[in-house]
Amino acid sequence: MTTAIAINHVSMEYKTPKATTHVLENVSYEVQDGHFVSIVGPSGVGKTTLIRLLTGLAKPTAGEILIRGKRIEDAPEGLAVVLQDYTRSLMPWLTVEKNIALPLRNQPLNKAERKQRITESLVEVGLEGSESKYPWQLSGGMQQRVSIARALAVRPNLLVMDEPFASVDAQTRFDLEDLVLKVRDDFGITTLMVTHDIDEAVYLSDEIVVLYGKPAAVRDIVKIDIPFPRSQMTTRNDHRFADLRTHVYGMVRGLE
Amino acid sequence: MRAPAGLISAVVAIVIWQAATTIWPLANSSVPTATATLARLWEMLFMSETWASIWLTVQMALLGFLIALAIAIPFGVLIGLSRFALISTKFTFDFFKVIPPIVIIPITILVFGPTQQMGVFLVVFALVFALAIQTAYGVRDTDPVLIETMKCYGLGRTRQVLYARLPAAAPFIAVGIRISVSAAMIVAVVAGLVGGAPGLGRDLLLSQTSGENAQTFAIVLILGILGLAISRLVVLIQRRVIFWSPS
Repeated sequence: MTTAIAINHVSMEYKTPKATTHVLENVSYEVQDGHFVSIVGPSGVGKTTLIRLLTGLAKPTAGEILIRGKRIEDAPEGLAVVLQDYTRSLMPWLTVEKNIALPLRNQPLNKAERKQRITESLVEVGLEGSESKYPWQLSGGMQQRVSIARALAVRPNLLVMDEPFASVDAQTRFDLEDLVLKVRDDFGITTLMVTHDIDEAVYLSDEIVVLYGKPAAVRDIVKIDIPFPRSQMTTRNDHRFADLRTHVYGMVRGLE
Repeated sequence: MRAPAGLISAVVAIVIWQAATTIWPLANSSVPTATATLARLWEMLFMSETWASIWLTVQMALLGFLIALAIAIPFGVLIGLSRFALISTKFTFDFFKVIPPIVIIPITILVFGPTQQMGVFLVVFALVFALAIQTAYGVRDTDPVLIETMKCYGLGRTRQVLYARLPAAAPFIAVGIRISVSAAMIVAVVAGLVGGAPGLGRDLLLSQTSGENAQTFAIVLILGILGLAISRLVVLIQRRVIFWSPS
């Protein structure tokens, strides 16, 4: 297996005139190609900072992040994002179709190809026929599906999600989790997700990275050896699932 | 329900006006009766001079408004893109914003004379600073999550402005426009009244000095109706353009 993302000795400080906040300290981790990796940790530990570094929105004060061997510059190529707050990351003045089309403007596609990408992505997330609706005409779960469709349309090889299901109700959350697993199966996209929901992390991931401390460092890397395909009915009942979630929970709360 | 309610209050106002000018306390004063004013208004509606004056005034207001908008929006976007630019221009713009256009009339008469251009210039001066500030604030107010999402997808500055910042600023600009169109009409009339620019403002001054009180009042009525119609029109257009935003 090849390495999709290499995080090498990354440290991050935020400097204000009054104080320096040391968020990340010597974080190293490698994401394998095609893997689903979750990053968990107590709130405020620096998970979102890590996302900002991965998406090129911020630069680390020390160390480097390589995506397929290339150091991140501005917006990494082949990267797509899904953020927690779909109401803020979709544009209310554009239809679903135009929201999805916007990132495609950076790709050399003609009109028909673009149209086809949009249709395929909407079918993948189960929203076929919603092209001409506006985001605010859809439910929260459907809006997050649009965000996922927008991500898929760029045909990414890396999907970064920041608490993608934190703002939807419990049942929608299960549906979206299974959708994300299906997407990973269909396209083999390497996926990196930040979440505060440990059950969700265990259910979805090949591997979980636990960040802990101030400044945060990698506390542990937990392999989730539950076979795929996973199911909301049986996987969550599996004793292995219970063991793993207890283990991860203990580390996140600093009990282990 | 609102239209009949408005109509009733208008009728009541006219009845009170008529009573005040025929019975008490303004009987036999220089204030014309409602009936005399409305009769004069009716006559004026069939005179081409009236419509020419209305058009001249609306033209000044509209032209000034459009020029102000054309200057203020690009300028406001540029200012809004940088926090430093916003802070550093705010003082100057607020300073110009509060200068009543009427005080610069003597200067504009020197430059333009009592012309329509003078009126247009005054309207532009009255509107452009407030509109630019409004645009800048709107652009600044764009949700950072939206901008970061666009950055993640590699969408550059121009697209951020076109697809995110301008639409996000639209409700702010709309508020500016709503205030501006009323201000534009007022300034266009003042330009005539004080500066002698052609149009309803000058007509008002002339009929007042020649003692045609009914006509003076009729012109005031025309201005009122015109102002009301324009602001209704603006609200109607805005609801269509900024469909995603409440109010």
